[in-house]
Amino acid sequence: MSQTKYIGKRIRSKEGPRHVSGGGQFTDDMTLPGMLHAVILRSSFAHARIGDIDSRAALEVPGVVAVLTGKEVKEISRPFKPGRYSAGLKTPIPEFATAMEKVRYVGEPLAMVAARSRAAAEDALDLISVEYEPLPAVVDPWQAMEPTASVLFEELGSNIAWAGAVSYGDVDEAFRSADQIVKEKLKTHRYSSTPLENLACLSSFDKASRKLKVWCNGQNPQVIYDALGEALSLKDYRVIIPDIGGGFGQKIHLIRKYVVLTSLMSVKTGRPVKWIEDRSEHMMAAGQSCGMEFDIEAAVKNDGTVLGLKIKEVDDVGGSVSTLTIHFTNKLNNLFSTYKVKNLRLEGRSVVTNKCPVVPNRGIGKPSMCFIWERVMDRIAKELGKSPVEVRSQNLVPAGEFPYSAPNGNLYDSGDYQTLLEKALKKLDYDNLREELRQEREKGRYRGVGVVIGLEPGGRNAARDMAIFPNVKELPGAGGVEGATIKLERNGSITVFLGAPSCGQFHETTTAQIVAELLGIVPEHISVASRFDSEVSPWGIGSSNTGNNFHLYDIGAVHGAALRLREKILELSAHVLKSPKEKLTIQEGVVSADHSSDNQVSFAQLGRIAYSNQSLIPEELEGGLQTTFFYKFPHAQPFMVPDKQGRVRAQFTFSAAAHAAVVEVDPETGRVKVERYIIVSDNGTMINPDVVDGQIYGSVAHGISVALGEGFVYDSEGQLLTITLTDYTKPTTCETPRVEIEHSPVPSPFSVLGQKAAGEGAAIPSPAAIASAVEDALQPLGIRIRELPLSPEVVWRLMNESKKGEAESP
Amino acid sequence: MRQLIQVRVNGQMYEEEVEPRMLLSFFLREGIGLTGTHVGCVVGECGACSILLDGRLVKSCLLLAVQAHGREITTVEGLAGKEALHPIQEAFVKNYALQCGYCTSGMLLASHYLLTRKPDSSEEEIRRGLAGNLCMCTGYTQIVDAVKEAGREYKKE
Repeated sequence: MSQTKYIGKRIRSKEGPRHVSGGGQFTDDMTLPGMLHAVILRSSFAHARIGDIDSRAALEVPGVVAVLTGKEVKEISRPFKPGRYSAGLKTPIPEFATAMEKVRYVGEPLAMVAARSRAAAEDALDLISVEYEPLPAVVDPWQAMEPTASVLFEELGSNIAWAGAVSYGDVDEAFRSADQIVKEKLKTHRYSSTPLENLACLSSFDKASRKLKVWCNGQNPQVIYDALGEALSLKDYRVIIPDIGGGFGQKIHLIRKYVVLTSLMSVKTGRPVKWIEDRSEHMMAAGQSCGMEFDIEAAVKNDGTVLGLKIKEVDDVGGSVSTLTIHFTNKLNNLFSTYKVKNLRLEGRSVVTNKCPVVPNRGIGKPSMCFIWERVMDRIAKELGKSPVEVRSQNLVPAGEFPYSAPNGNLYDSGDYQTLLEKALKKLDYDNLREELRQEREKGRYRGVGVVIGLEPGGRNAARDMAIFPNVKELPGAGGVEGATIKLERNGSITVFLGAPSCGQFHETTTAQIVAELLGIVPEHISVASRFDSEVSPWGIGSSNTGNNFHLYDIGAVHGAALRLREKILELSAHVLKSPKEKLTIQEGVVSADHSSDNQVSFAQLGRIAYSNQSLIPEELEGGLQTTFFYKFPHAQPFMVPDKQGRVRAQFTFSAAAHAAVVEVDPETGRVKVERYIIVSDNGTMINPDVVDGQIYGSVAHGISVALGEGFVYDSEGQLLTITLTDYTKPTTCETPRVEIEHSPVPSPFSVLGQKAAGEGAAIPSPAAIASAVEDALQPLGIRIRELPLSPEVVWRLMNESKKGEAESP
Repeated sequence: MRQLIQVRVNGQMYEEEVEPRMLLSFFLREGIGLTGTHVGCVVGECGACSILLDGRLVKSCLLLAVQAHGREITTVEGLAGKEALHPIQEAFVKNYALQCGYCTSGMLLASHYLLTRKPDSSEEEIRRGLAGNLCMCTGYTQIVDAVKEAGREYKKE
């Protein structure tokens, strides 16, 4: 688009005014007549057999209406089907909303109490007695793999719940041709984006009509809808998702247990039931990202060319098999990152442990995949005595090769990676900075710089998971169809319904900008429905606030629907104005023939005709100024479904960014201070630059904090030690650095407006950037950074152990 | 055993019976329906439930409703004038200083409290002033920018 009025411009947001006035509507803000409050009894053991659960005393508490234990859950519901997140699971393991027979992590739900007040329900919780027979807790994945380890799922025979591999190119040949093999071992930890709003659900079952209505803050309506269908023997249910207080992946999967449990309680009592998770429950049981370990070998030429990579991965997936392989399969999305390397083998093992199950979190396996590439690039540079930037540059996919086919089936739409790196270097004044830092290090200050690059794929294709599990019985959602509905109202204003919910990414504003541009109306006259409603929303395969979906699918659908409505408006106007359609123009909600102010019809007049005067609607025109359009990504084939070699278009658009961090390490405390942080980002055409910036600021803040210490810590008994946000060390304004963003967009030739993703974005390369900078700062001590997080304690230990080593060596 | 409390919230007088153990945050949300005050942790860590109690910034989850007896409260619903948004609200809208909106109420009251005392707060002072309020979405940058910008309006007042 050359000349735009709203796309790419600063605009007052649609969501802002209601949120700054306290007018957002979150699940917990709703109250229904006769509503009960529910709380959940959770396991205090990491691993135990469960005997009898006695709730008689609890039922005596005034105000308590019902208790639902696992025994009854088993009687009145069915287990979830193993979904695509458990691709590769060989033995079906039925999973219900509560634990059955055994608990496998601290916080696993056992029973639910419903009472007239939350306080009464909590009083009753203390009176439920549970017979536990404790089993040895298996906390470390390496211990879990020992033949003598206590087994979590007897059906599997061992704690290695999955093992498999993907391989692209000729890896063996790459390693035969290499001048050098560079080896490295890396480790990333468990963390979460900890959305400020905890999980929430309100279920209302109408006994007479046997209809269930559910409000919840699930990011993916498909998960909620399928869970209700699988678990409850109901045919009629409706899922409504109002404002969500942050998602980041945390609210995709495990929330289904709680929605089912709350709904079963509503069915049981015949009353509306509200369940609101508290913060400690969220930390224990709402899901964590995966702890991952990697054993890496890189085949390298002496000139720095990387021929191939072999990676052996161990994933600590926690106490459930329902998200068995997500952190492995998600690496297919950025498997080759920004590099033109042709050969790669990734072998994985998913190990179950007595910790919280893993869930998606901003990028899922992608930050680790980027971490692998960028740590290895630094290592190669070191071993070859080259500049780390030079090694990266010579292996990048060149700007002239787009669209670029990656060996694993991904088709990179557009990009100019070298320019991203160069702009970052220029902003840093890299050569002078490196010299300055070197001199400072000689004087005893631990300052360093790290420059990395990463890919940000967008648009989910769930068939990707079949690359490791081609025999899957039920095809997961392949591709990404998504709908949008637009109508011109009776008063001439425009209403839009999207197919997916929002977690705070300004979908209403962005949508209004596109519709305003295409229809010729001011954004103030456009209203975008702020909630998902399964009965109204035009949803499809891509309807999910996950996988960087919105930019591709929802915008594609909005674009298509707006163009269709524009056609309808023009056809009706042509009839009313008695002018050929080609001579009509639209401006500010007024259609003019031949640019004349004498022959005009306003949207308001058109609305009155469409809603109240059939005599003015032409015979051949469908009545009603409303359209629904379903968008399909046009370049999903070939490889929408994996071929025999496992090649698959894992995602469809490819943003990229260079990240540069300058840090100083305090040797007294081990604390890392981020002095400067630069991002040069290619997100394609930006529809709303403030929104794109916000996504980058937010995702980089989390990535930096993940690298510098936030994370979950368990003791040897499987008890979670980081049960509050303070223990978990969530960063405040004071710990979060100000980040400099420069945009360097290369529009996608494949998406409707050239737009690419921006949601997960900066969370992907930032841990690698910090690791690189810290390692540079600690050069005088010869320390290699192999593990996250780099909390003050970890860094202090690294520094002191290395000094001790120096002192001890002769 | 319930206790009668009288409290003025956003200029409006309320006389309500509450359980002595009821937290002030829940009283505001469930007792009198002011759901703009959000609850993110109930242990004083996140700041989503921040309000002004007799003009002082407090976290309403750390107080009991009965402690508010005879006192004055301002919640996010009380910030705006009859017609227009308050300058701090306006600055948050303009600068995209929010995403999901869940921390926003508390952030606004903390910012308002800070700027009332020191309209020309520096970036460092703003960051220290907001350190009791967590935001998981924004990385704080646009929030800090909004507070800086709003400070200019406070100076005029």
